[in-house]
Amino acid sequence: MKKSILTLAFVLLWIAFAQASDPAFIAAMQKQLEAKNTIATFEESQAVTNGFLRIAEATETEWLPYYYAALLKTEAVFRFDIEKDKTLDEALELVKKAEKIAPENSEITALHGYILMGKISLDPGSRGQSMSPQAMQLFGKAINLDRENPRAVTLMAQMELGMAQFFGTGPEKACGMARMGLDLFKKETEKVTKDYILPTWGKSQADEVASKCN
Amino acid sequence: MNLRLLLFITFTLIQTQAFAQARIQGKVLDEKGLPLPGANVQLKGSFDGATSEQDGTYQFETSLTGEQVLIFKFLGFKTQELTISLDQNALKIQPIRLIEEITDMNAVTISAGAMEASDASKSVILKPLDIVTTPSAMGDIMGAFQTLPGTSTVGNDGRLFVRGGDASEVGIYIDGMRVGNAYGTTTGNVPTRTRFNPNLFKGTFFSTGGYSAEYGQALSSALALNTKDLSVRSQGDLSVMSIGGGYSHTLANEKQSITASANYFNLGPYQGLIKQEIDFDSAPHGWDMELAAQKKVGENGLLKVMARTESGGMSLWQPLPGTENKVLVDLKNDYTYAQANWRTALKNDWIVFAGISYSKNFDNLAYDSLIIERKSELAHFKGTATKDFSDRLSAKFGAEHFIHPYAEKLVKEGWERDFDDHETYLFTEWDYYLNKDLVFRGGLRAGTSTVSEEKWLDPRFSVAYQLSDKGQLSFAAGSFHQLPVENFRVLNTDLENSESNHLILNYLFSKEGFTFRAETFYKSYDQLVTFEGLPDSPEGLKNDGSGYAKGIDFFFRDRETFKNTDYWITYSFVDSKRSFNQYKTEVQPSFAPKHNLSVVVKHFIVPLNSQIGASFSYNDGYSYTDPNLDNTEMNAKTKSFQNLSLSWSYLPKPNLIIHLACTNVLGRDNVFGYTFSPKTNTEGVFASIPQGQVAPRFLFLGIFLTLSKDKTANNLNNL
Repeated sequence: MKKSILTLAFVLLWIAFAQASDPAFIAAMQKQLEAKNTIATFEESQAVTNGFLRIAEATETEWLPYYYAALLKTEAVFRFDIEKDKTLDEALELVKKAEKIAPENSEITALHGYILMGKISLDPGSRGQSMSPQAMQLFGKAINLDRENPRAVTLMAQMELGMAQFFGTGPEKACGMARMGLDLFKKETEKVTKDYILPTWGKSQADEVASKCN
Repeated sequence: MNLRLLLFITFTLIQTQAFAQARIQGKVLDEKGLPLPGANVQLKGSFDGATSEQDGTYQFETSLTGEQVLIFKFLGFKTQELTISLDQNALKIQPIRLIEEITDMNAVTISAGAMEASDASKSVILKPLDIVTTPSAMGDIMGAFQTLPGTSTVGNDGRLFVRGGDASEVGIYIDGMRVGNAYGTTTGNVPTRTRFNPNLFKGTFFSTGGYSAEYGQALSSALALNTKDLSVRSQGDLSVMSIGGGYSHTLANEKQSITASANYFNLGPYQGLIKQEIDFDSAPHGWDMELAAQKKVGENGLLKVMARTESGGMSLWQPLPGTENKVLVDLKNDYTYAQANWRTALKNDWIVFAGISYSKNFDNLAYDSLIIERKSELAHFKGTATKDFSDRLSAKFGAEHFIHPYAEKLVKEGWERDFDDHETYLFTEWDYYLNKDLVFRGGLRAGTSTVSEEKWLDPRFSVAYQLSDKGQLSFAAGSFHQLPVENFRVLNTDLENSESNHLILNYLFSKEGFTFRAETFYKSYDQLVTFEGLPDSPEGLKNDGSGYAKGIDFFFRDRETFKNTDYWITYSFVDSKRSFNQYKTEVQPSFAPKHNLSVVVKHFIVPLNSQIGASFSYNDGYSYTDPNLDNTEMNAKTKSFQNLSLSWSYLPKPNLIIHLACTNVLGRDNVFGYTFSPKTNTEGVFASIPQGQVAPRFLFLGIFLTLSKDKTANNLNNL
């Protein structure tokens, strides 16, 4: 009896302390992910980014909070009037931190490429030549790491479309990839449960590429 | 242990976490005491925290109790921690002031005299790609720099002339290592080019004065070229041009890369089609081979190796003023350059660099029956260590040694003369940021030479101040020494350093898409070499000349106003006089025109996949001595120099570029000076021949194809 009470006490203690790692982490992430969906201003974006960074700071072993913080900074560059180059560099730093925690991760690799796409868009004339191949390589690597990653396929489709437009060639390749991305998004939706905190963004990008195809 | 107590504690702990929420509030301020929005406030080890609002305030709830650490974090600011004691009551925290961190990103940089061409630099003066897309440059590094402030174009020379200085006053470095004979050897008014292909470099740093103590032996300017880091992918690059062709192949993985290339050029077929002003017996021709390798060493180290060898020549009939006779001038040149350098970051914020380089130049020049051989070698050993003591104070220490043998001989006569100089330098440079808007730099460079038996010391100083968000002011001053050119030193090994002192004031305004730069300067010259007779046969060489250069230059670049259009305008005014070479009085040198203007425009036509470019250069003419006028020196000036160049780059496919360019489209008959006969003719006049262009125009057509598994590759960088 004595022994089992002791066990119970330790189990309860363990639950009390272990909260930090599992359900509390998920709850905290979900709270920020919810807030992420309603961002309307840069200040709100910054507050949610900070929220993810607090989680990253407290857990130290989770790549997702760094991932989302980097993603938010990247999206902020496209949405708000801020110092774009600097913000993308900050996003790159965060991606590197995520990569350190989870090397060879398809989602992080795809996001890395997405940030490079942002950098290219700021000065395509002089950056395109050296950075486009880097971005393409990253998307290729992300697809190889996880063939089911719809974001990797969609981002690659976006790059292909940009290039097809530039060189006046047909969008067939980009269209094929966008369709593949949309299929993967459909598959992904089936996986999403209440506790799902992995990335799910990117369908609108795939839709946009697909809308250029007949 | 009492089990009941343990259970009780456990349950209370869970309860506390579930229910008791204490409110924490406070305010975050910046250094000046103004509210700082966007800072991240967090209890260490927990998810509890908040972001500071527009008014700097923050508030959040926590269930933690006891001694806790509150962290204040904001990118670009130093993180602060505050130990607080929590019970379950609300807590008001004292206002916290965050101190801004001084980083490369936010701190002012010294821009006096300095122009950086890299994709990373904050203000865009010149980008690496500009070197290959500036029409008048024809893919030559120096050609692109001739459109920048402080330079003047001397069309029959091709080298870089900076602010009243002659071409030897520009020190050229690759990865911090000095390059001997960086320009191809030339003769008879045929302009030269840089030996090095622009596609080797990821960025350049060009200084028109007041530069760092790391560089020396250059009175006017330092040009530092930085080679590329690891290549991204394996590829082959093929070029077919109207003047030759080449192939380069790159093998790369994540740890190392290597590029090997070979090129051949011969202007013969081109000159067969298009008439030249110069009577070539054998058109300029040559081949080169090059190897460049990069390798990651350890976690933070990078090793770079580069080797190049080339051979070329030309021969031409040079007219003599006052006669129908021509002299055959024949030139052969062999050149080798090799270097290795290694850089790594150590613990405790030290960065160390070690490099070794070797250049060897061999010329064989036949002037009629006279045959001259010149051999010059330069070995350079260098080590530096840089330490960041804090975000405010950093220091660089370095030591260099040069071995520099030079020999020239008259082959038939068997006469030979030479010298073998050993030079040693020590330098240090300290940067101190008072705050992110004000930086001081002090440097000291000491040198010795065994041939001139001299020791000298060059102090350098600069300061930069951020005036507003976009504008900044910099000032630089310094002392610079340079040993005379080889063919003078070999005649008189007692010749000592020439000396120049610089004062520079610079204003720089940069914002997204715009750069404006204005700079005014004064520099003095002393101990310049003077001699009796003409430059071909100088006698009685002494360090007896002196002079000055002063002026102002403006630069404006705009990439924003017109869609798909990038243009820049440069105007430089130089007032320079010096007594040097054969000139007894202080005269305006022929290489220092007073008014210099250049305009470069590039426009991308999206539906045509084409970039068209135009560049226009102007100066008000070159001074020369006309013995028919009177017997004063530099008493005449040529008509103005004008050159309009156009180029068209077409990208039909991602991996194919077709490039067409033409210099001096309008065919202006530019003259750079005159050669006079030494004696008057029967009418009592000194006959003359103008020193003109090789041809009115130069047309270039090139096709560049990149072969790679990745079809997006193209070799725009290799033009």
